[in-house]
Amino acid sequence: MTETEAVGTGSTRSGALERRYRLLLRAYPRDYRERFGDEFIGTLLETTPPGRALPGMTESAALVRGGLRTRIAGAAHGPPWPDGLHLGLLIVSLADLGLLLPYAGSIPLWVCLSAGVVLAVAHGRVRLAIPLVLLIGSKTTAIALGRPWLDQTLVPVFPDSFWGNETALYGMGGPITPVITHGVLLLGLLVLAVRPRPPRRRFPGWWALAPLVACTDPAWLTVAAGSPRSLARVGLEAALLLLAVWAGAATGDPRWAVAAVPYVLVQIAVLVENFDSVGRQDVAHWALLGFLAVTATAVPYRSRAALRL
Amino acid sequence: MVPGMARRSPPSISEPTYFILAALLDGPLHGHGIIKCTLRLSENRIKLPVGTLYGALDRLTANGLIEVDREETVDGRPRRYFRLTDEGRHVLSEEALRMRQAASVVMSRIADPGSAFS
Repeated sequence: MTETEAVGTGSTRSGALERRYRLLLRAYPRDYRERFGDEFIGTLLETTPPGRALPGMTESAALVRGGLRTRIAGAAHGPPWPDGLHLGLLIVSLADLGLLLPYAGSIPLWVCLSAGVVLAVAHGRVRLAIPLVLLIGSKTTAIALGRPWLDQTLVPVFPDSFWGNETALYGMGGPITPVITHGVLLLGLLVLAVRPRPPRRRFPGWWALAPLVACTDPAWLTVAAGSPRSLARVGLEAALLLLAVWAGAATGDPRWAVAAVPYVLVQIAVLVENFDSVGRQDVAHWALLGFLAVTATAVPYRSRAALRL
Repeated sequence: MVPGMARRSPPSISEPTYFILAALLDGPLHGHGIIKCTLRLSENRIKLPVGTLYGALDRLTANGLIEVDREETVDGRPRRYFRLTDEGRHVLSEEALRMRQAASVVMSRIADPGSAFS
C-alpha cells in the first residue's frame, strides 16, 4: 500500500468512526448536541486508539447512559412534587383513554372526551380537564353499574371487533376501579388547579401512545388469564417503573416516583375490587408494581447526597 | 488523628470524581487532558469514558466545584478548559484529609504488627 493509499484508508476509517460516534450522540438531547457535540467528537477521536473504525463497547454504553441521563435531567422542570403529580395524572389519563379506545364504536363521544382529557392535561389546562373527568368518571361508573346515563348506551359495552377480544367494559369488576381512577384524576387536578402556577405544557404527542396501551388489553384488569397482551401490559408497567427507579437514582429527583403514585393507586383499587378472585399471578403482578414503586420512592433520597458531587 | 477530622463527616465523593478534581489542581485542562491526567494519577486504574467524563463535568459545574476557564477551537473543533473553584479545592482537600485519616488507622497497625493483628 502506498503512503497516499494508507492516508486515504485512515481518513475513511476516521470518517466512519466519527459517523458512528455521531449516531451514538443522538442519545443526547438535540440542543445539548448542538452545543457540545463537536467537542465530544473531538475528545472521542482523540481518545480512540488509532486504526479503530468501531466505537468500543464501554464508550458506547457510557455515551448512551450519559445521553439518557442528560435527557432525564433536562426533562425535570420546576418543583418536583407538582411536576411529578402532573406527569402521573397524564399517565393515568392516558391509561384511561387506552382502556376506553377499544370501545370507540359503542361510546365514541366518551372516547373523544377521554382523548380531550389527555390533551388538556398534556397542555397544562387542568381547569378544562376537571369537568371532562367528572363527566367521564360518572359515565364509566354508570356503565360499571350496568346503567345507561346521559345517553342511550347499550350495556354491557363490548369492544369493537378490530381489537380481537370480548371483554365488556368493566365486565371484570364493579364500580370501584372507575370511581378510584377518576377520583384520583379529579383530586390531582384540583390540587394542581389551586396552585398559583399552572403546570407546564408537555409534549402533546402523548395521546399517540393510547393505541399502544389499548393493545395491552387494559380492560382485562387482572393478569390471571396470562394472555400475551396482558403480559405486555405488565412488561410496559415494569419498564416504566424501572425507568423511574433509574431516573431517581441518576438524578436524585423524586418527581419520577411521584409520577408513579397515581397509577399505582389505581392498580391498588383493582386489587381491592377483585380481591376474592385474584390468582397468584395477580398477587405477583401487584407485588412487582409495589416493590418497584417503593424502590423508585426510596432511591432518590439515597442518591441525593452522593449526587451533590 | 488529623486535627479537625471526625467532627463532621464530609460528603463522600466517588473515586473518579476525586481524580477528576485532582487532575485540575495544577491548572485548567480540557476533556482529553483530564482523561489522560486521571489515568496517570490513578496509575492506569481509572480510564474515564468520554460520556462518563462529560456527565461528571456537567454535575461538578452545576455544583460549583469546577467552572469553565476558557474555550478554544483546535482543528476546527471547540474545546472547553475547566478549572477548580475555591469550593472544589476545599472539598477535594477535605476528602484527601479524610482518606489520609482512614488510611492511617490501618497503616499504623500494619507498621506495628503486635498491636492489632496478633
